[in-house]
Amino acid sequence: MKLISVIFTLFIVQNTFGQLLNDTIKFEPFVIEELAVSATYKTTNLDAVTTKSVENLAQLLQENSTVFIKSYGSGSLASVSFRGTGAGHTRVLWNGISLNSPMNGQIDFSLYPTPFFDKVELHYGASGLIDGNGALGGSVNLQNSLPNFNDSTKSAKLNYNYSIGSFNKQIHSGKVAYLGTKKWFYETRILHSEAENDLVYYNFAKKENPEERLQNAALKQYGFQQAIYKKIKNQTIGMRFWYFNSDRNLPSTMLVEKNDETQQDESFRLLINTTGFKNKISYKISSALIHDKLTYNNKLIDINSKNNSLLIDNHADINYFINDKITFLNKINIRHEQAKADGYNSEHKRFNNSWLTGFSGNLKRLNWTVFNRMTVVDDYFKPLAPSISLGYQLPKLEDVTLKVAAGINHNYPTFNDLYWTPGGNSDLKPEEAKMSEAGIKYHKAFGKTTIATENTFFFAHVSNWILWQPSAGNIWSPTNLKKVENKGFESTLTIKYKLNKVDLSIRGNYAYTISKNIDLPKNTDDALYKQLIYVPQHQFNANAKLTYKNTSLSYGYYYTGLRYISTDNNWYLPANYISNISLSQDIKLKTTSFNLRFQVNNLFNQTYQSIAWRPMPLRNYMLTLAFKL
Amino acid sequence: MSKFTLNIVVGLTLLMFTFSSCKKEKFGPQCKNCEENAIFPSIQNDVIIVNEGNFGFGNATLTLYNSTNRNVHHGIFQQANNYPLGDVAQSAYYFNEKIAVVVNNSNKIEIIDKADFTSIATITGFDSPRYFLPINLSTAYVSNLFSNKINIVNLINNTISGSITTNSNWTEEMLIYNDTAYVCDMSNNKLILINTTNHQIIANISVGIQPNSLVLDKNNNIWILCDGGFNEANAQLIKFNPTLRTIEQTLAFGNINHSPSDLIIDNSKENLYFINNHIFKMNINDTSLPTSNWVSNNGEVFYSLGIHPITQEIYVADAKDFVQNSTISVYKNNQQLSHQFQSGINSGYILFLP
Repeated sequence: MKLISVIFTLFIVQNTFGQLLNDTIKFEPFVIEELAVSATYKTTNLDAVTTKSVENLAQLLQENSTVFIKSYGSGSLASVSFRGTGAGHTRVLWNGISLNSPMNGQIDFSLYPTPFFDKVELHYGASGLIDGNGALGGSVNLQNSLPNFNDSTKSAKLNYNYSIGSFNKQIHSGKVAYLGTKKWFYETRILHSEAENDLVYYNFAKKENPEERLQNAALKQYGFQQAIYKKIKNQTIGMRFWYFNSDRNLPSTMLVEKNDETQQDESFRLLINTTGFKNKISYKISSALIHDKLTYNNKLIDINSKNNSLLIDNHADINYFINDKITFLNKINIRHEQAKADGYNSEHKRFNNSWLTGFSGNLKRLNWTVFNRMTVVDDYFKPLAPSISLGYQLPKLEDVTLKVAAGINHNYPTFNDLYWTPGGNSDLKPEEAKMSEAGIKYHKAFGKTTIATENTFFFAHVSNWILWQPSAGNIWSPTNLKKVENKGFESTLTIKYKLNKVDLSIRGNYAYTISKNIDLPKNTDDALYKQLIYVPQHQFNANAKLTYKNTSLSYGYYYTGLRYISTDNNWYLPANYISNISLSQDIKLKTTSFNLRFQVNNLFNQTYQSIAWRPMPLRNYMLTLAFKL
Repeated sequence: MSKFTLNIVVGLTLLMFTFSSCKKEKFGPQCKNCEENAIFPSIQNDVIIVNEGNFGFGNATLTLYNSTNRNVHHGIFQQANNYPLGDVAQSAYYFNEKIAVVVNNSNKIEIIDKADFTSIATITGFDSPRYFLPINLSTAYVSNLFSNKINIVNLINNTISGSITTNSNWTEEMLIYNDTAYVCDMSNNKLILINTTNHQIIANISVGIQPNSLVLDKNNNIWILCDGGFNEANAQLIKFNPTLRTIEQTLAFGNINHSPSDLIIDNSKENLYFINNHIFKMNINDTSLPTSNWVSNNGEVFYSLGIHPITQEIYVADAKDFVQNSTISVYKNNQQLSHQFQSGINSGYILFLP
């Protein structure tokens, strides 16, 4: 209830100002690359500045969106879900290439440090179909900015960051970019980070709740990314190679005395692409090779399991601008997936190909997009997965846009679902989501204040949801027998205020999610019509940043409502609310600039768990020195 | 401007209010139906359901049931001790007014007082404990998964005092008869015989694939149920003569997919019951396996089986989707369902108290 009142107050703030002032409509310059997702869908953009202030993708999304992050603890596995769907229903793309493992369909968000990308775009619900099949909840797009070849101010740029924090955490990251003559561009990014993660917690699983230190949680990550691009007339051609290595110990829950588990992840990602436009055609052709290796070791029970996957992904996105009102969209994706795991009898391979065709345009005040994605995955053929979205700018209230979108997307069974021994079920059908949303967007700048808000209702129906359950002889096996209904409400509000040398910005996000089983193998099951486990009904976060000259103070508040952890909703994890605060100082010299930033995480020293019996850090600190040349 | 500032201030104040005004702090997983009222010790509280919970979730619980007035108390260990039972409670054993609860993934055994369920001792240091068997008043054996050891526990000071090294990597159910302990060796498909006086292995007898449970009948024969592994071989029910150390009878299950478990015997030591998707009943004098079930599962997932020593009623747990509370069904001797009650998540063991 308290939370609702906060939201309500924020709306009052917004509405009062809507009536008071007036301003002109902002004109957004037309950018070819950004045409990928029409603004008529719900999206969230996280720019470079936001991206740089956190360590990894999991933390970035936790602090800036209302997608749900399930984290096993600092540096440990983190998965992301949108709108009450599962972690396997979130697609993650790197410059348009889906990185999801063909084995479990998921992504470990703790393995994506922010120095390796510049922007993140979230596509919710039906808009995820633009990025490919499988995004039944949404997709996360990691983007590296293309160089600005017209920038003649400085040919070489150097950035270096060093962070030191609690639990023996040390992070080095750097970037060198060079814009050579004849329009060549080189860029190198490096990262090295380590942490003991030996955080102190109160063990509520033991008599007298003793203070304990987390054991076996050390982490080491390193990697580099190399890009070379060249511009030839209206065309940019180049490659980007990304190597990443992570080695970590896996800590146990508070209830387990002994453990000795480790996990090594290694990724090789090579992307070659060319973008450009000629006459009325814009194009982006990319080819990528993604190789992931995961090794899990458990010395106590003598398990050493190796998993290898290979993806070869080719995209041709060709858009034809029929006239200034209509664009023809055309995206072809030829993808090869291959994986080998100790749990399979043999190596498995398949094609995952799809073809998107559609149109996007505007008619006076109406923006519209309509398209279809046809997919062939192995023996599965789905000719129809349509999506439509409309955005209408009100004639008298031009700051207000009404939006509706709907679409269908399919998620194909993973190799684990199909081939895991024992249990894998090769008769599985693809999961199907029917998604819809309606929202209102308002953006207004008046005088020194800017207000932007977007409020969206969503409704989705997921059928053939793949559920692993024990079958005869207690062997776990997947079936398509579950149906889930997701509905809810998402709201964001941003207020920016500028007065002389003072900048104030406040941003709030709220999500209300109901995600229920509406059909189960047995309808006497107590899980029927109950909220899915690990889906919070309420999620809220807010950030306030006050900047004066070169100094800024930020405050972040993150609320996660209670999450059920048993399907009959008898067990739950209580809600948690965490505050972070940071102080940042810029020091600008002639050619160089420094930034010193001090952050206090979990300011009020809250004890909480994101996953049952996995301790999360109490109050902790981080100091970052950034250097720019 | 002033109105704007005011609204911001009001908004932020309310924001601060949200985190400062929360009343009672709760940490970690909470269980709604685990009662907060005190459990009144009663001699009629005669059934304890050991609920495994989910691996890694730490939601193992004990459900207390009174078969006379049918009262159910959930989460009694947490109530009595103010800390959770642990991760994956495997089995329990009643001895000497005490109950030993084997908590597999927490690698510990909680020795609790039968009268009020408070913890008398927590024995730690096991590898992956499965079952507990007292061999006399001062000593007990503990079988283990992922270990070649059977731990010897000193029941006077509640510590591990030694171990017996086996060839096995997974020892399961055990029973004692005269001065010999009979241990199911799941990894080598053997029955391990141990002299309980000097803790020496006497013999390893080959049985069927994966012996998981065993009982002693009134003729002092041991019945061993072997589940056959995952499509490795057909499951078997074996009658073993401990005096002659010979297998007297081997009954093979017809279908390779069958994976029977939970062999139990009634008070007369004449009738065997086990789960093979459904509940089956068989007399010890029968020379073939029962062809039809005694109670059909009707779509339920039968997960554990018990027989009340006095009422002779059969208790069976339905684990449902394994991520919610199980339902215990109580069947009368005439195969009729008597009544049902709810227990915790994955009720894997049913213990009857004298």
